[in-house]
Amino acid sequence: MRINNAPSGEAISLRGISKAFGSVTVLKATELTVKKSEFLTLLGPSGSGKTTLLNLIAGAIAPSSGEILLSGRNITRLPPRDRGIGMVFQSYALMPHMTVFENVAYPLRARREPSETIRRKVLDALDRVGLKGFEDRKPRQLSGGQQQRVGIARCIVYSPDIIMMDEPLGALDKNLREQMQTEIKRLHHELGTTIIYVTHDQEEALNMSDRICLMKTGEIAQLGTPDELYFRPNSRFVAEFIGESNLLLGKITAVNRVSIDGAGLVHVPSSERALGSEVLVMVRPEKMQVSAAQADTLAGHNWLHGTVEGISFIGGMTRITVKTVQGVSVTAKLVSGPASTRPELGSEVKLSWSPAESVVLSA
Amino acid sequence: MDRSINLRVQSLFMSPAALVAVGIVLPPLCYVLFTSFQGDAGPLSAYIAILESNLFRQTLTTTLVVASLSSVLSLVLGYIVALHLAKQSPNRRTALMFLILLPFWTSILVKCFAFTIILGRYGIINNLLRWASGIDVQLPLVLNRVGLLVGMTNFLVPLVVLPVLASLLAIDSALYRAASVMGAKPARIFWTVTVPLSVPGVVAGLLSVFVMSLGAFVIPALLGGPKDQMLSNLVDFYNREVLDWPKASSISVILLILASIFIVPMALWRRRRI
Repeated sequence: MRINNAPSGEAISLRGISKAFGSVTVLKATELTVKKSEFLTLLGPSGSGKTTLLNLIAGAIAPSSGEILLSGRNITRLPPRDRGIGMVFQSYALMPHMTVFENVAYPLRARREPSETIRRKVLDALDRVGLKGFEDRKPRQLSGGQQQRVGIARCIVYSPDIIMMDEPLGALDKNLREQMQTEIKRLHHELGTTIIYVTHDQEEALNMSDRICLMKTGEIAQLGTPDELYFRPNSRFVAEFIGESNLLLGKITAVNRVSIDGAGLVHVPSSERALGSEVLVMVRPEKMQVSAAQADTLAGHNWLHGTVEGISFIGGMTRITVKTVQGVSVTAKLVSGPASTRPELGSEVKLSWSPAESVVLSA
Repeated sequence: MDRSINLRVQSLFMSPAALVAVGIVLPPLCYVLFTSFQGDAGPLSAYIAILESNLFRQTLTTTLVVASLSSVLSLVLGYIVALHLAKQSPNRRTALMFLILLPFWTSILVKCFAFTIILGRYGIINNLLRWASGIDVQLPLVLNRVGLLVGMTNFLVPLVVLPVLASLLAIDSALYRAASVMGAKPARIFWTVTVPLSVPGVVAGLLSVFVMSLGAFVIPALLGGPKDQMLSNLVDFYNREVLDWPKASSISVILLILASIFIVPMALWRRRRI
């Protein structure tokens, strides 16, 4: 067992870490703590600083300021080889001239482990990723998914404190990607390794993570569980980046009321914002109900009148775009039914939602 | 279907060059082959006489030894240069490549005379050593094996740099990052990643350099001593001094066969890789 003097449960801790190239700051001073055995995803559009953060932890680049603590030890100035980190690459980065066995054995040979231990560990790691019997193949004889399994086996074989995955499924097609997501989750569950996962795919992030760190232009936009980011986004950026959202501009008129521009009052969850301040009321499309214009509204529900502007049937869900009387486009997502049950294009409808399903954001 | 059209187009474009090459190279080559069978005592007499002569055997040994040594030396030096070039930014690399190719575009005669000035008894190196040590140093650096190897290596290094550099640049830089994250030190990365993945360039460079040096003529004539003469010089000797053309031709044919032994496997190996 490794002796650990870290504050219990802390795998990695970034303290005021920042990075600037010349006068361009790509990562502002950032605080981030990843718990032991946590699956943390760095999510964000390209240029948001997520890859910079990953490279800082891996030691590929040196920070401009701040410290990195790995299990309590300061690794800020350590070269990558002494950090004891595992990394999975988008391009797999397997040694093309080595067999699968030698690829997985590489980190153990670098650690000069006895050949018997190497054989046992390599076969065990390959078994875990479902590649038993592939030891003698060369990487080019494997499919993309199999190659990435080798990439993962190569990490878990030396039990690093944390494994970082840089868009590991980015080069795979959709079905395979979903299958690999499930497998990575299973491995994480079995091994209990801390994983830092980089992706720009929000569905992947929601599906896999314990916590998501959403990045925007070199800083953390929101850090929280997938639920928190989806149901309680803290800004317009988060609400728009994760999932679909309707954003209605308005002014606070009471603790729990907002006057939507040109559409009258709506009820919202209570907030402590100043009266008269400009806000956005966010409602997820799947929380919107669509009914006939004359239908009664459920007690306490908010509603808007509008005309159906577009209908798209996309399988399990049907997306309906409604243009309100005031000219705002609002989207509702309904569980699909046959065409006869859908509202007709151009027909008058009523949109309604429960105040509890809305979130008030700063405009 | 697609491939055959492609092949037809290719041969169309290549035919002028091929015709010129065949027209210029083939007739004299046939004439040499014909002459080699015109010995005084029967068709094979020139070959028998040559293969039995001590001079030929010694020269053949010298040729193989010098070609091997200069190939290995230029590989070591060229590999180091290529490693350095591979680490430069593209702009800097272009500038440095120009410097490497500069001597390649200089006449080989000029370079050989330059080396006699540098390496001579009262040349730059000996003068420098004399000045530094205060002793009358007269290291024999030219008109012997040393001078020959210096000249050969200088001539061959650019030919190694190009294929090795191409191989090094083809290595995915993520492999280096992966290796270092997995705990490998620079020396291990060099021997387990850089070297094995540059083998194609090394083999291509080594073989082309070896074959080039088999036929060396000017460098051994100008920088080598009497014991360092190679097969081409022997051809010249029989051709101009002894005026025994059948023998000169038979040595040429033997040299051609020797070079083919190395070129043909390389061509096949390259084809397999493509």
